[in-house]
Amino acid sequence: MSTAAIDTRTEDRPARAQSPLGETIFRTLCFSAATLLMAALAGVVVSLIIGGWPAFQKFGFGFITSTAWNPVTEDYGAAGPIVGTIVTSILALIIALPLALGVSVFLVEFCPKRIARPIAIAVELLAGIPSIVYGMWGLFVLAPWFATHIQLPIMMDFDSHSLIGRIFSGVPNGANIFTASLILAIMILPYMAAVFRELLLTVPSQVREAAYGLGSTAFEVVAKVMLPYVSKGTVGVIMLGLGRALGETMAVTFIIGNSHGFPHSLFDSGSTIASTIANEFAEATSDMHTSALIALGLVLFVLTFAVLAVARALLAGNKN
Amino acid sequence: MNDIATPISPASPNIAASTEAPIMTRPTGELVLEARNLDFSYGKTQSLFGVDLPVERNRITALIGPSGCGKSTLLRALNRIYDMYPGQHATGRILLNSEDILSDRGSLARLKARDGDVELNESGLDTSALRARIGMVFQKPTPFPMSIYDNVAFGVRLHQKKSKAEMDVIVERSLKRAALWDEVKDKLSASGLGLSGGQQQRLCVARGIAVEPEVLLLDEPASALDPVSTAKLEATLMELKKDFTIVIVTHNLQQAARISDHTGFMFLGKMIEFRPTAELFERPQSPRTRDYVTGRFG
Amino acid sequence: MDRALRRKLTNGIFVGACGLATFIALAALVLILWSLVKEGVGGIDANIFTMTQPAPGSPGGLKNAITGSILMCAGGMAIAIVVGILAGTWLAEYGGQTPYGHAVRFLNDVLLSAPSILIGLFVYEIMVAHLFGHFSGYAGALALALLAVPIVTRTTEDMLALQPNTLREAGMALGAGRGFVIRSIIWKAASAGLLTGGLLGFARISGETAPLLFTSLGNQFFSLNMAQPMASLPTTIFQFALSAYDDWRRLAWVGALLIAVAVLAVNTIGRLLARETHRP
Repeated sequence: MSTAAIDTRTEDRPARAQSPLGETIFRTLCFSAATLLMAALAGVVVSLIIGGWPAFQKFGFGFITSTAWNPVTEDYGAAGPIVGTIVTSILALIIALPLALGVSVFLVEFCPKRIARPIAIAVELLAGIPSIVYGMWGLFVLAPWFATHIQLPIMMDFDSHSLIGRIFSGVPNGANIFTASLILAIMILPYMAAVFRELLLTVPSQVREAAYGLGSTAFEVVAKVMLPYVSKGTVGVIMLGLGRALGETMAVTFIIGNSHGFPHSLFDSGSTIASTIANEFAEATSDMHTSALIALGLVLFVLTFAVLAVARALLAGNKN
Repeated sequence: MNDIATPISPASPNIAASTEAPIMTRPTGELVLEARNLDFSYGKTQSLFGVDLPVERNRITALIGPSGCGKSTLLRALNRIYDMYPGQHATGRILLNSEDILSDRGSLARLKARDGDVELNESGLDTSALRARIGMVFQKPTPFPMSIYDNVAFGVRLHQKKSKAEMDVIVERSLKRAALWDEVKDKLSASGLGLSGGQQQRLCVARGIAVEPEVLLLDEPASALDPVSTAKLEATLMELKKDFTIVIVTHNLQQAARISDHTGFMFLGKMIEFRPTAELFERPQSPRTRDYVTGRFG
Repeated sequence: MDRALRRKLTNGIFVGACGLATFIALAALVLILWSLVKEGVGGIDANIFTMTQPAPGSPGGLKNAITGSILMCAGGMAIAIVVGILAGTWLAEYGGQTPYGHAVRFLNDVLLSAPSILIGLFVYEIMVAHLFGHFSGYAGALALALLAVPIVTRTTEDMLALQPNTLREAGMALGAGRGFVIRSIIWKAASAGLLTGGLLGFARISGETAPLLFTSLGNQFFSLNMAQPMASLPTTIFQFALSAYDDWRRLAWVGALLIAVAVLAVNTIGRLLARETHRP
């Protein structure tokens, strides 16, 4: 045995390396941080409930069904923003979903590897652009263009009393439910495409190759083999996109027109829950106004939480 | 019989062999480490069954056997690295210089169930100090993301305060013993991750011996290396046994035959035959050992 | 033959549609960037960084907004990195597989996708309505921290999980404690990945507007006092863009360009670093 053996039982070892106390402290710190996270979320929920309570108490279920939103008479009904939120989000989803599917399938199946990576990166960068930039672009570029080239011609061509005319009626300034949905679609498209691409990459290559080996065309491989393979996950991706659209604030605030009533047509101005809070909260002077806005926030939280929970359950199911 | 058909064992041609008492030729020299009647389980799955392993000082002891036979598990029990994982526990005795390092298992198991990991157990046995006395080198090289110098100094710094000059001496001596000094002496501050696989493994050996352990455990240390690096590593180990006691797990029979003094053959979580290496390879007594060393299975 | 032709045709249309979708997505990116550059680059001059925001019609810059953004983002990231790395470490190294760990992971995901404006409401209730009694830079920083924490936590957990177990065992086999192994070996090995988490978190909060509207509010003057209302680039852009003054709108474009460039740069660096970590 070596004569230079270190006597590990001496007391003068450096304490930091393995003192049980140090270990416990570090472990406790990590645990506290994780608990702090939970506390933060709990805080969000509790503060929304407490803050929104007076409004729920006063208006009851009518808070959700009434379209009144009048800070002067202190009468608040959130049906307008709630419907605005759901309509814009679902419209955005309808526009973005086929595009996101197309992009991800193109990147996974048809695109040469050398180009696929830069495109995938570009698409992900699109997802990182702050929403206020989308909002400005929507307000100053998309809305005027839309008003001149789409909205005016349609209004010229259709009588405002016909069905189509009613669907598309509105002030021709480009700030309306439809353009808001369009901006939302552009915002959630890269995010959905990125997640969906990852999902498609989980299809084992043997499965794909086996399908090609039977003489299937690329379309048949994608439609009949790959999509069914990730079907649950696909719904998960849709829900994730929906969740994003529901909570998006700034881009929509810029371009939706911000009127509180119930939207009557696609080209009508409207509001969403988030845009209403963003516009009014800092200026709300009465307690009931503040409470009504916080109650709106709680409704939004419940909506996004439900969507996220479903998305997670479906995405987790696809992994098995 | 059914109780030992463990999920980790491969399909076995002849299970009956496992019931035989182990064929043991105990070393004549001083034992530094000894496992006695060792059982080991992962949760509800038992993977070692009453294993005995005598380890003689300043010798190389090899453990061989088909994959899943428990040889790596046995090695990992010897320095209690399994403590990291809740749900794994060993019963029986492991004696390091006649001191039982498993003696507190009951209370430790309870603590682990609650806490996930425990450094100092109730009986006062410090697993940290234990691991300074029993070093370990793993299958894949595990250089830490720091300089070559700091890699070697890492373990020493854990256990002792040393001046820069003293540390320089230790680092140089360890790297020389691991036959790596000449290759790295001009780039001690370079990252250990930049070395070749064989060099990384010898760096891990140097790191392991820098704390002057009594025993060095090696878990298939050459399986990720090319033949030239393997030969260098083997030469290093032969050199090291002057100062250290070595236990090596290997699936390479030639390697065991070349470098070890004692060899244990394991199968289905049991020690089948433990004898001086030359005897075990030339005159295996168990039919199972004979089948394995002649290449009929495994 | 007819059937084969039809299959080929369907396939061709499908491939074409997928290509078109990709083209549309990329075109949107190009259009947005083009607008930003066209409207923003012309407005960039020294005044942007040296002068505070002007009254309509007089010269000015974004100095107060840029400073406020940097201060609040830095404050937010300081909190987010400490809490996020520790929480991510707990999930990856200690309690991630316990029921409590699963709960933390799920709630972290909820926090990650919670609308940012709700985080703003929460911080308003705590800091503005109760603790300080008025809007402040600290409230803004806390709101930003809450947005970045879940990203840092998640990235940390993912990146630590990538580190091989043998590295932990090797450290412990030398006699180091679990926590010491994590701090001196695992964090080091995953450092590029941890940095990525910080960068991604930073990229997310640097453009956030909604949670600042009623936490830091905004401030038309230059201020370094975080206990008082504080200007930020996003809120200033919001205010200026919706104004009726051309010179304010120009400043809004410049601000949007600055933010977009910063976020794209940070995101790109983060992604490059992440790819480095994936090859240990």
